[in-house]
Amino acid sequence: MSAPDIWLSIGLLTLATFLSRCLVFLLADRLRMPPRVQHALRYAPAAAMAAIVIPDLLLAPDSAFDASWHNPKLLAAAGALLFFMATRHMLGMIAVGMGLFTVLRLI
Amino acid sequence: MNVLFPHDPLQIERKAFKEAFKLSASTMPGIFAWGLVAGMAMVKSGLTLWQASGMALLVFAGSAQLAVLPLIAANAPLSVVFFTAVIVNLRFVIFAAAIGPHFTHLNWRQRLWYGYFNADIMMALFPLRFPPEKLYSAEGKVGFYSGVAYPNWAAWQGGSIMGILLAGQIPQSWGIGFAGTLALFGVMIPLVINRAALLGVAVSGAVAIAGIHWPYRLGLLAAVVSGMVAAMLVDILREGRGEA
Repeated sequence: MSAPDIWLSIGLLTLATFLSRCLVFLLADRLRMPPRVQHALRYAPAAAMAAIVIPDLLLAPDSAFDASWHNPKLLAAAGALLFFMATRHMLGMIAVGMGLFTVLRLI
Repeated sequence: MNVLFPHDPLQIERKAFKEAFKLSASTMPGIFAWGLVAGMAMVKSGLTLWQASGMALLVFAGSAQLAVLPLIAANAPLSVVFFTAVIVNLRFVIFAAAIGPHFTHLNWRQRLWYGYFNADIMMALFPLRFPPEKLYSAEGKVGFYSGVAYPNWAAWQGGSIMGILLAGQIPQSWGIGFAGTLALFGVMIPLVINRAALLGVAVSGAVAIAGIHWPYRLGLLAAVVSGMVAAMLVDILREGRGEA
């Protein structure tokens, strides 16, 4: 792409960000959401996190499903989870998870 | 602390900001790491330093940026670039539907401003602190929201700029982006409040894996929607059985 086209793309991407994130904010008082939708939205945060986290834990770099003990991310996340359950310490959890992941992928 | 006026609105917002800042600060290394990954990817796909920085600062949406980089490199039509970004960003419409109704007391300029910062980490932290029952009280919301929004923006931008400058010097095998996954994993745990949420998480994860190669990252959107619906169905079934 030529330089002007790249900047035009960046402008369009910015517009896409605003449209997706702000439109419903702007119209929120005019939107009447059915009770079922509101009910489902309560679970949106958990579902959104899972949709990002779980594939990264269970898919190998080549996108092959790997739920075995040879998957360093899965094992590291299990360790990080135990640490978090015991301490409720987020920063420590990231450190433990990254540390385990690094050790596991090197051995 | 203002002892004389404990209900001073400014004090309440300030307190909420600090509370949110403390809560979000521990996730910031993960967000920084994600910015780093996005920054490196932009430079590797051929953007100049200025183009990559401009994209990070303005677009502020990692998944959309990563999705369009190959399109830009392949000289795809601008309409395709735009359409792809809109579809990839569709999950933010769900986020806005969950959080937007809390800010109807603000004017349109403020809503435009705050809406822009409604990223993944906000979705994890804000509804937990302000469930739908608190919809009609504005107290502490702008403060709390800002306390997540600005550190998140700064951490992600800091990571992006660092990634743009360091591109090529950090081997991909280090898996830096995994820190971002771990941060979201950590904020996900308190969100699993009941069996319905647990099933929602399982369904969402399974659909996300099944749809990993779907175009426009539609697997991600399908995962969020099916996870939400699955969790709600559990509630409805339990209500029907009189368990709720």
